[in-house]
Amino acid sequence: MNDETFLNERIEVLTSFGSGLNPCKPLRFRRASGREVVISEIGLRHPTRQGNRTVHVFDVTDGGADYRLEFDSERLTWTLTREADQHA
Amino acid sequence: MPDGLDAYNPERPMIMHVDLNSCFATIEQQARPLLRGRPVAVVNRRTEHTAIITASYEAKAFGVKVGMRFAEAKRLVPDLIAVETDPAKYRFVYRQLLSIMQRYSSHVVMKSIDEGVLDFKQTTPEIAARDMREIGLELKQCLREEIGCAMRCNVGIGTNRFMAKTAAGLHKPDGLDVIDSGNLRSTLARLKLTDLTGIAGANEKRLNSVGIYTPLQFLDADAVTLKNIVFKSIVGRQWHQRLRGYEVDDVEHDLKTIGRQYVLEAHGMARDKILQRLHHLCESVGSKMRNQHKVARGVMVYAKTYDRQYWHTRQMCELPFYSDEAIYAQAAALFMRAPTGAIREIGISCYGLESGGDGQLSLFGDEIAKGRAVTQAIDHINHQFGDRTIHSADTLGTDTFVKQKISFGSTRYL
Repeated sequence: MNDETFLNERIEVLTSFGSGLNPCKPLRFRRASGREVVISEIGLRHPTRQGNRTVHVFDVTDGGADYRLEFDSERLTWTLTREADQHA
Repeated sequence: MPDGLDAYNPERPMIMHVDLNSCFATIEQQARPLLRGRPVAVVNRRTEHTAIITASYEAKAFGVKVGMRFAEAKRLVPDLIAVETDPAKYRFVYRQLLSIMQRYSSHVVMKSIDEGVLDFKQTTPEIAARDMREIGLELKQCLREEIGCAMRCNVGIGTNRFMAKTAAGLHKPDGLDVIDSGNLRSTLARLKLTDLTGIAGANEKRLNSVGIYTPLQFLDADAVTLKNIVFKSIVGRQWHQRLRGYEVDDVEHDLKTIGRQYVLEAHGMARDKILQRLHHLCESVGSKMRNQHKVARGVMVYAKTYDRQYWHTRQMCELPFYSDEAIYAQAAALFMRAPTGAIREIGISCYGLESGGDGQLSLFGDEIAKGRAVTQAIDHINHQFGDRTIHSADTLGTDTFVKQKISFGSTRYL
């Protein structure tokens, strides 16, 4: 039915903060298992509100699976919340 | 347009209609690159029986339609992928689109979450002097650069809102068309009557009854026939003007009702469970109403049963009200009269809306003031810490089923 797996996994993310329309770009991340994922495209970045906190949601892909990363701008933490790889 | 004038509007087309193609599905394909080029259906729930909210063009090519049951669509396209709606994502794209459009004119009206109208008659002379097609292409480019490369939209340009919308529907996806007095007839000649926004069902029958079967016949009908025989009201006169490119739709409609409905997640649900879900809907409606600074005078409750019966009842109050408790107390009392058969869907709406103020007053002023303070405090906490941080104990656990969904028709809550 739906191809996504819902997760709540704290991850380490290598990110570049540049200029332009989308200054924050996650480049690669390391999962709890130690596996590294290299991001090949950021599909969409959108902010969400969790009360007064802003959490930036990044929908990204490594070409083999789609992932959703969430950056909590108050706590400065990254969390992997979704993975969809059945179409790899 | 002066009475009796049958000429087409000769003005330069300066109304632009922008329509995101298969909006939710396109946004999902933008967000998830691996979905691009694949048949995708956006649904509200992860069940086989859920209805499709939006289908991607790849799915539409196989005959998948909006409103079709997912299980039925899956028979047409076995590898159809269902994606659950993600309102936050769609609101973001809506705001981005609005922001892009507002760069060109301060007179922008969003007709729904996926379409908006720009009026270039009320913009700066520099922008108004530009080629409208060029602006349309620029807008498409901005959408791709600022949201993502998979984003596409239709742009229609006309002398009125109706023609601009019609133009936006001519070449989907990613079209850009202009309808003016010069190509009006040739454009309408390519369309069916039901391709015209507002002509379906009853209106089509009305037109057919006087021998009007095509848009060109509709265009050629005289104003008196349309007014006195076809529509039997001023609506006929408005159609006569609308089809000639004159503006009759630049009107704002007041907010008349605020409501929510919910299709129950299980068959044969007990009444107390249904009431819990109704309570949840009442809290949601109350919150929406207060966000719009409105108070209500009436409550309407409806239920649909599995044997296709529709039941509804309503009640007006002497005094306006706004709190979740007041809404639920009335809704629950009304719901007691609901049919005893297995209920499939419930809904509640508040009507008789007025601008907020000292609503819900009575002789017991202190009690009312306390109630108002409690409601305000709850709203404040929910605003600060997230929706439904505080809610009635009765609705504990209903969030799993009754999720906040996004509405297509109104942009008031975006």
